[in-house]
Amino acid sequence: MMDEPRDYKKRRKTRMDKDLFTLIIGGKAGQGTTKAGMTAAHLFSSMNRDVFQMNDYPSLIRGGHNFSVVSSSVGLLHSHYLEANLIIALDKRSYDTHINHVAKNGILVVNSDEVKGEGIGIPITTEAKKYSNPFLISGLASIAILAALIGTTNQELRKIIRSEYTRNIEENLAFSLSIYDIAEKTIGKKFVLKKGDKKKRLLTGNDAIALGAYAAGLDLYFAYPMTPSSSLLHFYAHHGKELGVAAIQPENEIAVANMAIGATFAGTRTMVGTSGGGFDLMQEAFSLAGMIEAPVLFYLGQRPGPSTGVPTYTEQGELRYALNPGHGEFPRIVASPGSVEEAFYLTAELLDLVWRFQTPGILLTEKHLAETIMSSTLEPEKTKWAEPLMHNSGEYLRYHDTSHGISPLLFPPSSSTIKWNSYEHDESGYTTEKPEIITQMHQKRRKKSQSLIAYLKTIHTVNTFGKGGSNIFTFGSTTMSVLEALDYSDIKATVIQPIYLEPFPVWELEKYRAKNGIVVEMNSTGQLATLLHDKVGIHSKTLIQKYDGRPFNPTELAQQIKEAL
Amino acid sequence: MVETLSTAAENTWCPGCGNFGILNAVKKAVKTLEEHGIQRDHLIISSGIGCHGKIFDYLNLSGLYSLHGRSIATVQGIKLANPELKIIDFVGDGDAFGEGISHIIFAAKRNADITVITHDNGTYALTTGQFSPTSVRGFKGPSTPTGAIEDPINPVTLLMEVGATFVARGYAGKIDHLTDLIVNAVEHEGFSFIDVLQPSVVFHDTYKEYNEQIEILEKIPDSYDEAVRLAKRNERKLPIGIFYQTSKPVFHRELYGDWNPVKNHVNKKERVEKIRKYIEGEP
Repeated sequence: MMDEPRDYKKRRKTRMDKDLFTLIIGGKAGQGTTKAGMTAAHLFSSMNRDVFQMNDYPSLIRGGHNFSVVSSSVGLLHSHYLEANLIIALDKRSYDTHINHVAKNGILVVNSDEVKGEGIGIPITTEAKKYSNPFLISGLASIAILAALIGTTNQELRKIIRSEYTRNIEENLAFSLSIYDIAEKTIGKKFVLKKGDKKKRLLTGNDAIALGAYAAGLDLYFAYPMTPSSSLLHFYAHHGKELGVAAIQPENEIAVANMAIGATFAGTRTMVGTSGGGFDLMQEAFSLAGMIEAPVLFYLGQRPGPSTGVPTYTEQGELRYALNPGHGEFPRIVASPGSVEEAFYLTAELLDLVWRFQTPGILLTEKHLAETIMSSTLEPEKTKWAEPLMHNSGEYLRYHDTSHGISPLLFPPSSSTIKWNSYEHDESGYTTEKPEIITQMHQKRRKKSQSLIAYLKTIHTVNTFGKGGSNIFTFGSTTMSVLEALDYSDIKATVIQPIYLEPFPVWELEKYRAKNGIVVEMNSTGQLATLLHDKVGIHSKTLIQKYDGRPFNPTELAQQIKEAL
Repeated sequence: MVETLSTAAENTWCPGCGNFGILNAVKKAVKTLEEHGIQRDHLIISSGIGCHGKIFDYLNLSGLYSLHGRSIATVQGIKLANPELKIIDFVGDGDAFGEGISHIIFAAKRNADITVITHDNGTYALTTGQFSPTSVRGFKGPSTPTGAIEDPINPVTLLMEVGATFVARGYAGKIDHLTDLIVNAVEHEGFSFIDVLQPSVVFHDTYKEYNEQIEILEKIPDSYDEAVRLAKRNERKLPIGIFYQTSKPVFHRELYGDWNPVKNHVNKKERVEKIRKYIEGEP
């Protein structure tokens, strides 16, 4: 069993050696701040620097205030920072929002056509008006400004623009070079950034999840559009043909979940994706999957609730909910990844587990992990592969009551009759109301729960980072914020992140009972803290919470942790 | 081999129930389909929850006994996973037109290649006879003691409107006619729908009324408009038969041509290579 996954210890660096650099690009929706942020991310990545990009956008199409934060460093980076070395405010609102985010020795560049105030003014709108689509093109200015600041050459900038902005290429080049020339005179080469030593791939959490499920054998993905899961649907729709996977968008989440269940009956590996509101509609099918023993993986990407909530922001308010969906008693598997890389391996592992134990599972994430872009290294040959226990020969009983509770599978067409049944059923799958069979089948599903726990005891279910100091408990994407906060302030602590949340790995956590811990989570009721208390008996001396839809800023979190120590 | 279509399950339908007629017609249809070359192991059944759903236990065919209202979604998933399978989905009127109406509309809209047979008794019989989506105005049940105040849905015209490519009405009291409808529906490529008028002897006994009014259509009506006109219920006549049949590309083919997800399951080695290519191919 490995502690400190993915050579954490070897690569841990403090703020000083990280050579941190943060860029914030703010503008209106439609102005291309996210695209510009991604291009900047690629620029840093081409220098072999680690990148962490977080996009903050409201639920609208045009106008509003969008911003993209791109932090980069030499060595492992777990979070973006809000203290920026370069802020580019394309409009007045961005200026007002980010004026206080300028780091010590940081530089603020404003679009002087729209903003009167501090900072270095560049007439971005005036320059953009020389081209056919001045509004859309203006985001590109930020790439030129960044390039000038960090000493990217004219040739390198051309290359980046050519590869990232493929439409109207001549206009894009002319515009960005004119901004580059203006910026070079005032801020040229003010920052010299170190280069890293390892080339990594930039991936969103959803990219990693899509690839992880694929690595484990996914055939069909069903989903109804909902932030923050939608990009998974888009991924399979775009890449399905070359990969051999299909994306299907049915009429609602109820159809999504039931179609997925039907598809497993015929033998395909399936996954569905949604957020809290959509998952509410899937609960009926979740319970069905528990009863008929259908191996379906549910991807639940959290955003602030209740109800419609705050659709494009982040929260961890559905932990307790994810542990208890669906009526009736049946085993379920719930796990939450703490990084983009972990999302890849964990998704594959969960797809394997739902097939191994023929019961529904939930991959629990948040908008912060789903849509964040992170430098990652994936090793696809190291993923799990979903392969069920199959029936060999002799009489076939769909719900054969084995010693471990797992009944071998058989797929149609078959000379044997295969009956999956939502009613309580006998071993052959026919409806029953007989008391002794109802009891037997409950016990069979209980045996499966016990087998699942026995199996989880043999695999890695809890991450621990660091040694000594206070115990800090966290889960999901908040793990990234905690790790970066510790790096930033060089805090000595042990971070404990339960990857598996149901069954809860009490056997791994019991050893932390002796000492009160600090719990960090993104909800208002302290759901992880109560889970640790109720299931393991771990008391928390301090609960650090955030529930404003925005992920933690590591510098502020570091301060809160220091106060709690 | 499946020797017989019957099972050991005890039949608990009320004596005289219209469901017996449907069960007998299905058994006869399966035999005919086998003669036509459709293998029995390729016939997959599903059902919702209600009196109709019990047919799942009475047929020795593979399938998935689904939830109330959801079986039409379930079977579309089965078909998408393995398009070689032939699907017969048994639904009730409350099931398909109440709880699960979105699924039947969308299955027809996308021309999913499945057959849906509605056991249409115009009442929620299993829960003691409440009014259902196809109950006539004035229908008296425990939740409508003074009579239903809503007009019924007409399943035949509704399904024609939303895109079904085979729409028929059958009667549980005319087994041979119903058998032919089922054979035609299963052999039809695309979304086929049969609304089967099914008397419930306890809660909505319509035998007498139907026996007086039923008229078998001589042929498929010449036009869509003519079909709609005939399908609207007229006090004196209740036509049964195929109202509408047309040919349109089916959903799974539009989605992925001849690809069969089960048969063409990509192996681990190939997946690893494709992921590598993806990771290395883009920045």
